[in-house]
Amino acid sequence: MISASSQKRVKVFFIYVAGILVLIIGLIMSIVIGVTNISIGATITSLFVWTEERKEQLIIQTIRLPRTLVGALVGANLGVAGALMQAITRNPLASPQVFGINAGASLFVVASVVFLPSGSSFDVVYFAFVGAAFGGAIIYFCASKGGLTPVKLALAGMSIHFLLSSVTQGLILFDEDATDMLNWLAGSLNRSNWISVQQLWPWSVIGLVAASALSGAISILALGDDTAKGLGQRVQWVRLAASLIVIILAGSAVSVTGPIGFVGLMVPHLVRMIVGQDYKVIIPLSALFGAVLLTYADVLGRLIAFPFESPVGIVTAVLGAPFFLYLAHKARGMKR
Amino acid sequence: MKLRRAPVIILALFILTCILAFFSVGFGSKYVSPAETIAILKGSDSSYTYIVENFRIPRVLIAILAGAGLAISGTILQSILQNPLASPDVIGITKGAGLAAILVIVFLPNSPTALLPISAFLGAALVAVALMIFTRNSGAKSSTLALVGIALGAMCQAATDYILIKFPVNANVMLLWLAGSLWGRGWDQFYGFLPWFIVLLPLIIGMIRKLDVLQFGDDISTSLGVKSNRTRYFLLGVAVALAGLCVATVGSIGFVGMVAPHIAKRLLGPKHQYSLPVAALCGAILLIIADSIGRGIAPPIEIPVGILTAIIGVPYFIYLLRMERKK
Repeated sequence: MISASSQKRVKVFFIYVAGILVLIIGLIMSIVIGVTNISIGATITSLFVWTEERKEQLIIQTIRLPRTLVGALVGANLGVAGALMQAITRNPLASPQVFGINAGASLFVVASVVFLPSGSSFDVVYFAFVGAAFGGAIIYFCASKGGLTPVKLALAGMSIHFLLSSVTQGLILFDEDATDMLNWLAGSLNRSNWISVQQLWPWSVIGLVAASALSGAISILALGDDTAKGLGQRVQWVRLAASLIVIILAGSAVSVTGPIGFVGLMVPHLVRMIVGQDYKVIIPLSALFGAVLLTYADVLGRLIAFPFESPVGIVTAVLGAPFFLYLAHKARGMKR
Repeated sequence: MKLRRAPVIILALFILTCILAFFSVGFGSKYVSPAETIAILKGSDSSYTYIVENFRIPRVLIAILAGAGLAISGTILQSILQNPLASPDVIGITKGAGLAAILVIVFLPNSPTALLPISAFLGAALVAVALMIFTRNSGAKSSTLALVGIALGAMCQAATDYILIKFPVNANVMLLWLAGSLWGRGWDQFYGFLPWFIVLLPLIIGMIRKLDVLQFGDDISTSLGVKSNRTRYFLLGVAVALAGLCVATVGSIGFVGMVAPHIAKRLLGPKHQYSLPVAALCGAILLIIADSIGRGIAPPIEIPVGILTAIIGVPYFIYLLRMERKK
């Protein structure tokens, strides 16, 4: 017993180390690769030695670095949001995208930009929260009476997603810069800057810390409502707290980068495949691998049609849709 | 019981379609009153004659054809797949058609107009083939079909988004291919649409009896002497062609192909000799109403018709999911 659990701890430790290494490599690639190619040596000097005149330094400090940070934070947010959703709904297809939360947040963000153009960019995040809660509330209503299989709930979620994004597309018509909006709607890091970082990081920290704090309770909840109640857990409170965290994580991510799909779906599954069912491990690892996935997807998006920068949301959709197929195939076995 | 009212209902729907089409002509950035419309139709000269004759009338006619086409395609798909959730958009074939169409528009801008429907059909067919491969084991009966379709649709959508962002076009053109819209459709598109429609329609009418049998499933249809697989693939091909044709003309308009067949079945039951024409009329009515609202609600801005059909269709889709659960 003891040796088995310590063996597992060693394994998890190595996964952490490996994940962090992969993330660091990804972050460096994300800073180095782009329209202006910058050597690694120049990158390191410009990060630590400040000289006014160098063009590379300016690019790194004003464009690449904030973009990389936003990518990593958004990836972590979405990964953890997906893990929480899959745990509290016990639905393998649950994720901010599939259950309409991303679409709800983007609808409210676009509405706020169109109807309140003078609003501060820091307030946009609150609209995103309301929208995320709105999208979540609709799917909650669909699921409330119970009896919908995971697959059907996912179908309901996707159709809510279609509905909300249709309305969003309609609103875009009232905005002059439709192409720019479309770029945002596809989920993109192109316009991330230090202001985006400032908008995002407090919410990321709150959400990620709260999710970690809740991870023990989530592990118990994932065993099933009856078991959790039997173990003395207040199931509804845990679920409510987790839902709030999902809204904070997904909403803040959408408010900065637009709806990026499939990260929250894929990452928790990949993590569970490696480390099993303990959410104390799954949640931090989902944050780590969410950051990894989005960082690499963004680098890939910059390379696909170089020098054109493809929105990262398109890259994750192309990666994620086959994964969704695979999960749908597996979820069929769970049909009642 | 229901069937005795059939001619009455079909006639009533037909008249409703005509009335709605007539009023729809009036809506748009310049409102034309019904009296003026009649005057223009009678041939009197008005400042709106040009608008009505060259923009409004063909547009309404296209709405009728596209609504009917999507509805017929949806009816066939629901019957041959025996899946009430099937429809050209839910199973992703409209997205495939849209992607193929936008590829042709962006990369072969000087190609003949006849290429557009053909490429849209090929795109739709490709998605349909992929769908068949992925759902082979589950027999295309469960909601897996819809889920696989959504995933395939998401991939086509991602590619469409990519092309639209990489090669920026006019916002209305963009929304045409994202949401489906009748913006700027005129006689050219109508005459590109009509012949294909006329070719496909007799094929479907000839298969009505077989559709009735097929919806009971393979075992019963085989015992009734219908070669079910061959017929099914043939009908699937026709449905895909029809959907692709509509998408090539008006973009990937959602939910009409799903909602209209259900309304038809509710009105006159599952016999296709009734449900097909009723579905076609309902589809036409839905699209006319949605397009009129889209043009009339906030002129001069046009809300793409696909957005309004989604707003009408999604609540119904969720309702269907909830109903299906009770079975």
